[in-house]
Amino acid sequence: MLNMYKLNSVLVSSVSSVCRQLSGSLNAFGSSAKVFIGCESIGLQRTLCTSAVRRQETAASTTSSAKTSRDSSIFPPIIGEESSLRWGGKKFEELPIAHVKATYNNTHIQLTESTGQSMVRTSCGTEGFKNIKKSTPIAAQTAGISAAAKATAKGVKFVRVVVKGLGPGRLSAIKGLTMGGLEVISITDNTPVPHNGCRPRKARRT
Amino acid sequence: MSRHLRFIARTVMVQNGNVDEAYKILNRILTHDGVIDAVKRKRYYEKPCRERQRKNFENCRRIYHSEMARKITFISVTNREDPWLGC
Repeated sequence: MLNMYKLNSVLVSSVSSVCRQLSGSLNAFGSSAKVFIGCESIGLQRTLCTSAVRRQETAASTTSSAKTSRDSSIFPPIIGEESSLRWGGKKFEELPIAHVKATYNNTHIQLTESTGQSMVRTSCGTEGFKNIKKSTPIAAQTAGISAAAKATAKGVKFVRVVVKGLGPGRLSAIKGLTMGGLEVISITDNTPVPHNGCRPRKARRT
Repeated sequence: MSRHLRFIARTVMVQNGNVDEAYKILNRILTHDGVIDAVKRKRYYEKPCRERQRKNFENCRRIYHSEMARKITFISVTNREDPWLGC
């Protein structure tokens, strides 16, 4: 979050300086036909540099969009050095992992350290649901909320989620984690796909 | 993946706290790569005869859809050079 604010302030100063330069150049050329309306609202959210001339608008937008696309990317930081991203002072590979196993009948959530030491373990069954009620997204959400509560009691803030399996609680478990107060920074899918290993059970006929 | 590319493959970072958005992106990537289809198919065993039928059907379906798309793009072109120019 601090990184975002610093980058935003850098953005603000850069775009405002660009606008001032362009306004200076416009006034120097003295184009009387178009009126230059420049209004800058310097704030933490966004800077708006509105002008009647299209070229200046596109130039400003391209510089700002180039900056924003660079610092937010979908891909995770590769472990071999040179990543300046930190969450709560920790690098990406030191953050705890929340394993979510979403089977067709149940959803298990286990929080572990980056080393593999288990911290919290919850599932729909431990939340008091039985039989068919365990295989619902609502049960997965309550399991997520309770796991997040136990984790925040141990002092965990940022977490990366690893999902395994295609079950009803796949998305709602992650939602429950965010609702319970944990901050999800990345979602991985670790669903086991055999390259034709064990023979599964026979096809159901209903 | 389990050990290979542990947090590199099939991983999506969450931007601005948009967990739903990130999940949608992950789902889209997985469906495009055919992972979700494969997992659903491998839940129950698919006999070899059924597998051959399904592959044949998917082949025919792919050919039909590509030909239909080609036909539609051809028909929907409006600005053509006049074939009767000069007559």
